[in-house]
Amino acid sequence: MQDIIERNITVKAPKERVYSAIADPTQVTTWFPDAVEGKYEVGEQPIFDFGTEGKSRIYIVDAKPFEYFSYRWVAGETGVVDDVTKVANTLVEFMIEEMGGETKVTVKESGFSAYAADVAQEKFDMNSGGWEYMMNRLEKSLTD
Amino acid sequence: MPTAEIFRALGDPIRLEMVQRLSSGSSYTLTSVSTNLGISRQGARKHLDVLQHAHIVVLKPHGRDVFVELEPATFDAAKEFILNVEKQWDRRLAKLKLFVEED
Repeated sequence: MQDIIERNITVKAPKERVYSAIADPTQVTTWFPDAVEGKYEVGEQPIFDFGTEGKSRIYIVDAKPFEYFSYRWVAGETGVVDDVTKVANTLVEFMIEEMGGETKVTVKESGFSAYAADVAQEKFDMNSGGWEYMMNRLEKSLTD
Repeated sequence: MPTAEIFRALGDPIRLEMVQRLSSGSSYTLTSVSTNLGISRQGARKHLDVLQHAHIVVLKPHGRDVFVELEPATFDAAKEFILNVEKQWDRRLAKLKLFVEED
Protein backbone atom coordinates (compact mmCIF):
# COMPACT_ATOMS: atom_id res chain seq x y z
CA MET A 1 0.00 0.00 0.00
CA GLN A 2 1.36 3.39 -0.93
CA ASP A 3 -0.87 5.67 0.96
CA ILE A 4 -0.56 5.17 4.69
CA ILE A 5 0.37 7.66 7.33
CA GLU A 6 1.33 6.19 10.66
CA ARG A 7 2.24 8.03 13.85
CA ASN A 8 2.60 6.81 17.41
CA ILE A 9 3.23 8.02 20.92
CA THR A 10 3.98 6.26 24.19
CA VAL A 11 2.05 7.33 27.26
CA LYS A 12 2.28 6.56 30.95
CA ALA A 13 -1.29 5.42 31.44
CA PRO A 14 -3.12 2.09 31.31
CA LYS A 15 -4.69 1.05 28.01
CA GLU A 16 -8.21 1.30 29.48
CA ARG A 17 -7.59 4.98 30.14
CA VAL A 18 -6.27 5.56 26.64
CA TYR A 19 -9.17 3.70 25.07
CA SER A 20 -11.70 5.78 26.98
CA ALA A 21 -9.94 8.95 25.91
CA ILE A 22 -10.57 7.94 22.30
CA ALA A 23 -13.87 6.07 22.43
CA ASP A 24 -15.76 8.04 25.08
CA PRO A 25 -17.45 11.11 23.52
CA THR A 26 -17.10 13.09 26.74
CA GLN A 27 -13.34 12.43 26.82
CA VAL A 28 -12.40 12.64 23.14
CA THR A 29 -13.38 16.31 23.24
CA THR A 30 -10.59 17.10 25.71
CA TRP A 31 -7.89 16.51 23.08
CA PHE A 32 -9.46 16.16 19.63
CA PRO A 33 -12.67 17.88 18.48
CA ASP A 34 -14.18 20.64 20.62
CA ALA A 35 -17.50 18.83 20.57
CA VAL A 36 -19.21 15.74 19.15
CA GLU A 37 -22.69 16.03 17.66
CA GLY A 38 -24.75 12.88 17.31
CA LYS A 39 -24.27 9.32 18.46
CA TYR A 40 -20.63 8.39 18.97
CA GLU A 41 -21.13 4.67 18.32
CA VAL A 42 -20.15 2.04 15.76
CA GLY A 43 -22.25 2.38 12.60
CA GLU A 44 -23.23 5.97 13.37
CA GLN A 45 -22.11 9.16 11.61
CA PRO A 46 -21.61 11.85 14.24
CA ILE A 47 -20.01 15.22 13.54
CA PHE A 48 -16.70 16.41 14.97
CA ASP A 49 -16.90 20.10 15.73
CA PHE A 50 -13.47 21.77 15.57
CA GLY A 51 -14.74 25.23 16.49
CA THR A 52 -13.34 27.90 14.22
CA GLU A 53 -11.67 25.24 12.08
CA GLY A 54 -15.00 23.85 11.03
CA LYS A 55 -16.83 20.57 11.31
CA SER A 56 -16.31 17.15 9.84
CA ARG A 57 -18.65 14.18 9.73
CA ILE A 58 -17.16 10.82 10.63
CA TYR A 59 -18.40 7.26 10.22
CA ILE A 60 -17.44 5.04 13.12
CA VAL A 61 -16.32 1.71 11.72
CA ASP A 62 -15.21 -0.36 14.69
CA ALA A 63 -14.56 -0.23 18.41
CA LYS A 64 -12.87 -3.01 20.37
CA PRO A 65 -12.19 -2.21 24.02
CA PHE A 66 -9.41 -1.59 24.97
CA GLU A 67 -7.29 -1.96 21.89
CA TYR A 68 -8.87 -0.62 18.70
CA PHE A 69 -11.07 2.20 17.43
CA SER A 70 -11.59 3.28 13.83
CA TYR A 71 -13.58 5.71 11.76
CA ARG A 72 -13.74 7.10 8.23
CA TRP A 73 -13.72 10.75 7.28
CA VAL A 74 -12.64 13.12 4.57
CA ALA A 75 -9.03 13.80 5.50
CA GLY A 76 -7.39 17.16 5.35
CA GLU A 77 -10.74 18.79 4.81
CA THR A 78 -13.33 20.06 7.11
CA GLY A 79 -16.80 19.89 5.81
CA VAL A 80 -19.98 18.16 6.69
CA VAL A 81 -20.96 15.67 4.04
CA ASP A 82 -24.28 13.84 4.19
CA ASP A 83 -22.76 10.39 4.14
CA VAL A 84 -19.05 9.77 4.65
CA THR A 85 -19.21 6.34 3.04
CA LYS A 86 -20.53 7.81 -0.23
CA VAL A 87 -17.53 10.07 -0.84
CA ALA A 88 -13.79 9.51 -1.09
CA ASN A 89 -12.63 9.07 2.48
CA THR A 90 -9.74 7.86 4.56
CA LEU A 91 -9.76 5.27 7.32
CA VAL A 92 -8.37 6.39 10.67
CA GLU A 93 -7.39 3.58 13.04
CA PHE A 94 -6.23 3.84 16.62
CA MET A 95 -4.30 0.87 17.98
CA ILE A 96 -3.52 0.60 21.65
CA GLU A 97 -0.92 -1.78 23.08
CA GLU A 98 0.53 -2.09 26.54
CA MET A 99 4.31 -2.34 26.50
CA GLY A 100 6.33 -2.72 29.68
CA GLY A 101 4.15 -0.63 31.95
CA GLU A 102 3.49 2.00 29.31
CA THR A 103 0.97 2.20 26.52
CA LYS A 104 1.74 2.75 22.86
CA VAL A 105 -0.91 4.52 20.83
CA THR A 106 -0.61 4.24 17.08
CA VAL A 107 -2.75 6.16 14.66
CA LYS A 108 -2.86 5.00 11.07
CA GLU A 109 -4.61 6.92 8.34
CA SER A 110 -4.97 5.20 4.98
CA GLY A 111 -6.78 5.48 1.68
CA PHE A 112 -5.40 8.72 0.27
CA SER A 113 -5.14 7.11 -3.16
CA ALA A 114 -8.90 6.67 -3.23
CA TYR A 115 -9.38 10.39 -3.03
CA ALA A 116 -11.65 11.91 -5.58
CA ALA A 117 -10.03 14.56 -7.75
CA ASP A 118 -12.15 17.33 -6.30
CA VAL A 119 -11.00 16.71 -2.74
CA ALA A 120 -7.69 17.84 -1.32
CA GLN A 121 -6.71 20.46 -3.83
CA GLU A 122 -3.24 21.46 -2.81
CA LYS A 123 -1.03 24.36 -3.66
CA PHE A 124 2.07 23.91 -5.67
CA ASP A 125 5.35 24.67 -4.03
CA MET A 126 8.40 24.95 -6.22
CA ASN A 127 10.89 23.92 -3.56
CA SER A 128 13.04 20.98 -4.50
CA GLY A 129 13.50 17.87 -2.44
CA GLY A 130 10.01 16.63 -3.08
CA TRP A 131 11.15 13.73 -5.13
CA GLU A 132 13.56 12.28 -2.68
CA TYR A 133 11.06 12.60 0.09
CA MET A 134 8.34 10.96 -1.92
CA MET A 135 10.51 8.12 -3.12
CA ASN A 136 11.75 7.36 0.37
CA ARG A 137 8.23 7.35 1.58
CA LEU A 138 7.00 5.11 -1.21
CA GLU A 139 9.88 2.74 -0.75
CA LYS A 140 9.18 2.55 2.93
CA SER A 141 5.50 1.91 2.46
CA LEU A 142 6.21 -0.77 -0.11
CA THR A 143 8.57 -2.65 2.14
CA ASP A 144 6.34 -2.41 5.21
CA MET B 1 -3.13 19.53 -9.39
CA PRO B 2 -5.22 17.56 -6.92
CA THR B 3 -3.02 15.55 -4.58
CA ALA B 4 -5.45 12.69 -4.76
CA GLU B 5 -4.70 12.12 -8.38
CA ILE B 6 -0.98 11.96 -7.68
CA PHE B 7 -1.41 9.27 -5.06
CA ARG B 8 -3.79 7.37 -7.25
CA ALA B 9 -1.42 7.51 -10.20
CA LEU B 10 1.40 6.13 -8.06
CA GLY B 11 -0.72 3.40 -6.55
CA ASP B 12 0.33 0.85 -9.15
CA PRO B 13 3.50 -1.29 -9.27
CA ILE B 14 4.18 -0.72 -12.98
CA ARG B 15 3.84 3.04 -12.72
CA LEU B 16 5.89 3.08 -9.57
CA GLU B 17 8.63 1.13 -11.34
CA MET B 18 8.57 3.67 -14.18
CA VAL B 19 8.83 6.52 -11.71
CA GLN B 20 11.69 4.81 -9.91
CA ARG B 21 13.56 4.41 -13.20
CA LEU B 22 13.00 8.04 -14.06
CA SER B 23 14.15 9.20 -10.64
CA SER B 24 17.52 7.47 -11.08
CA GLY B 25 18.85 10.48 -12.94
CA SER B 26 19.42 8.73 -16.27
CA SER B 27 17.47 9.98 -19.25
CA TYR B 28 14.76 7.77 -20.64
CA THR B 29 12.85 7.72 -23.87
CA LEU B 30 9.31 6.42 -24.32
CA THR B 31 10.83 3.15 -25.51
CA SER B 32 13.46 2.68 -22.84
CA VAL B 33 11.19 3.48 -19.93
CA SER B 34 8.70 0.93 -21.25
CA THR B 35 11.02 -2.06 -21.62
CA ASN B 36 11.29 -5.05 -19.29
CA LEU B 37 8.09 -4.29 -17.44
CA GLY B 38 6.46 -7.56 -18.42
CA ILE B 39 3.75 -5.76 -20.34
CA SER B 40 3.11 -4.76 -23.94
CA ARG B 41 4.14 -1.42 -25.39
CA GLN B 42 0.49 -0.41 -25.59
CA GLY B 43 0.07 -1.36 -21.95
CA ALA B 44 3.10 0.68 -20.99
CA ARG B 45 1.76 3.62 -22.96
CA LYS B 46 -1.48 3.52 -21.00
CA HIS B 47 0.43 3.69 -17.75
CA LEU B 48 2.48 6.59 -19.08
CA ASP B 49 -0.73 8.37 -20.02
CA VAL B 50 -1.91 8.09 -16.43
CA LEU B 51 1.40 9.50 -15.16
CA GLN B 52 1.26 12.27 -17.72
CA HIS B 53 -2.31 13.14 -16.86
CA ALA B 54 -1.37 13.42 -13.18
CA HIS B 55 1.52 15.72 -14.19
CA ILE B 56 4.02 13.28 -12.74
CA VAL B 57 5.87 13.02 -16.05
CA VAL B 58 6.24 15.24 -19.10
CA LEU B 59 6.96 14.03 -22.62
CA LYS B 60 9.57 16.01 -24.52
CA PRO B 61 10.03 15.27 -28.22
CA HIS B 62 13.63 15.66 -29.33
CA GLY B 63 14.51 14.73 -32.90
CA ARG B 64 13.17 11.25 -33.53
CA ASP B 65 12.92 10.41 -29.85
CA VAL B 66 10.45 11.34 -27.18
CA PHE B 67 12.06 11.77 -23.78
CA VAL B 68 10.16 11.14 -20.58
CA GLU B 69 10.97 13.35 -17.63
CA LEU B 70 9.68 13.74 -14.12
CA GLU B 71 7.84 16.84 -12.98
CA PRO B 72 9.25 17.48 -9.49
CA ALA B 73 6.79 20.24 -8.59
CA THR B 74 3.98 17.71 -8.54
CA PHE B 75 5.59 15.91 -5.68
CA ASP B 76 5.83 18.96 -3.53
CA ALA B 77 2.06 19.06 -3.45
CA ALA B 78 1.92 15.47 -2.26
CA LYS B 79 4.72 16.04 0.20
CA GLU B 80 3.06 19.07 1.71
CA PHE B 81 -0.22 17.27 2.05
CA ILE B 82 1.31 14.29 3.86
CA LEU B 83 3.45 16.51 6.09
CA ASN B 84 0.40 18.46 7.15
CA VAL B 85 -1.60 15.37 7.98
CA GLU B 86 1.34 13.97 9.97
CA LYS B 87 1.81 17.21 11.87
CA GLN B 88 -1.85 17.32 12.76
CA TRP B 89 -1.73 13.79 14.17
CA ASP B 90 1.42 14.55 16.14
CA ARG B 91 -0.27 17.55 17.72
CA ARG B 92 -3.38 15.56 18.55
CA LEU B 93 -1.44 12.64 20.00
CA ALA B 94 0.56 15.04 22.17
CA LYS B 95 -2.69 16.43 23.54
CA LEU B 96 -4.01 12.91 24.10
CA LYS B 97 -0.86 12.09 26.07
CA LEU B 98 -1.28 15.16 28.26
CA PHE B 99 -4.87 14.22 28.96
CA VAL B 100 -4.36 10.55 29.85
CA GLU B 101 -1.28 11.22 31.97
CA GLU B 102 -2.90 13.83 34.15
CA ASP B 103 -4.09 12.66 37.56
